[in-house]
Amino acid sequence: MNADVDTASRPPASRQSQKEATRLRVLNAARELFDTHGYQGTTIREIARHAGVAVGSVFTTFASKGEILSEVMQARLDPLYAELDRVMPHLRGSTADRLRTMFAIHFEFEARHVRLFLSHIAAAYDWTLPPGAKPYGHTPRLQEIIRETLQKGIEQGEVRADCDLQEIVDLLMAAYAWTYRLVITREAGTQAMIDAMDRQIGLVAEGFAPRG
Amino acid sequence: MKHISPNQVAADTPARAPTRRALAKQQTRLKVLAAARRLFSEQGYEGATIRDIAAAAGMSTGAVFANFTDKSDLFREIMVDDMEALNAAMRDAAVRGRGVEDALLKVFMAGYTFYKSRLQLARAAFSVSWDKDGGPSLRGLPASLALEDLFTELLSDAVTRGELSQEAEVKLRSRMLFDTYLSNFPQAIFDGWSLDALQARARDQIRILLAGARRG
Repeated sequence: MNADVDTASRPPASRQSQKEATRLRVLNAARELFDTHGYQGTTIREIARHAGVAVGSVFTTFASKGEILSEVMQARLDPLYAELDRVMPHLRGSTADRLRTMFAIHFEFEARHVRLFLSHIAAAYDWTLPPGAKPYGHTPRLQEIIRETLQKGIEQGEVRADCDLQEIVDLLMAAYAWTYRLVITREAGTQAMIDAMDRQIGLVAEGFAPRG
Repeated sequence: MKHISPNQVAADTPARAPTRRALAKQQTRLKVLAAARRLFSEQGYEGATIRDIAAAAGMSTGAVFANFTDKSDLFREIMVDDMEALNAAMRDAAVRGRGVEDALLKVFMAGYTFYKSRLQLARAAFSVSWDKDGGPSLRGLPASLALEDLFTELLSDAVTRGELSQEAEVKLRSRMLFDTYLSNFPQAIFDGWSLDALQARARDQIRILLAGARRG
């Protein structure tokens, strides 16, 4: 993704940078289209037209639209996780509250492009998905952050030590994704989703709390 | 210009016995539905076209459109058939449960068993359900809402029996249980999880989600 500085001045570099420029144009166009038309409603042909490049040149860079979306999300999520890495160690409060803050940051981040996130989830079920694509559920970073938070909860005596952490992680991941359903069924806004998630986290927390 | 055509009169009179024509039409519908089911399973919702479905059913696209308005209509009809059958299977299973936890587990397993032989169709349904256009109409189907209602009923009954506390937050809890039931499908579809593996997972999930609603 980063331009190689050493080769930047050599002749092949211009072709290389042209290719990179095409890639960025395709990714930008795709982000807009997925965000407005959803995953099924967006075709590679339209992405190419929107980006002002030939359909063929899209295919020389990307194998499928699933791969394009996967890269769009990757580029979006990297800064989010950098931000979370900075914030998480400073969070105070109970394990449930730290989880609530972490997910609220996610909802606020996705809010402006919520249809893009729905596309991201829909893409997980695409037939043409290449093995390298990373639709929702295959992004390990979110799972790691949840697991670290729970681990800290065990040390603080707020999470049962004999809990299967992966199961709790999966429950929270599912609750997070399924909360976006509210956008489809009720046109829910960000705050409504955060509220719904807060309550769900409270309910899961009752399940991982030490038995009194 | 108002006049009633003979055809309209015929259509308005209540049918006595199904005519040969009505039977033929019914047969055509069933053929199209069977072909569509197969193609949606093999190629996904997006990949299956009306043209392919018509060809697989051995008829013209016109004949398909005479029976279904469009692809989403066709898909919805298949989903309704399945969800009604699933609803019956889940309700049968729930009755056999000993206590709410066991009943829920049996309901989950009735669902996974039902879809075991049609996971690819389930995959197509998930893909449509997350679509901004197809999602609302699929999720809002009465047959789909009836599945959610079953979870609510099981929890409400458990509160009435005194098995769960009055403050069990039935609505939120049953919604989460339903979502959790759905959220295990990717493991079944993509990772080939067996029914046993799904059951072990579901048992733990149900336990966690009920923990706060236990009495005492």
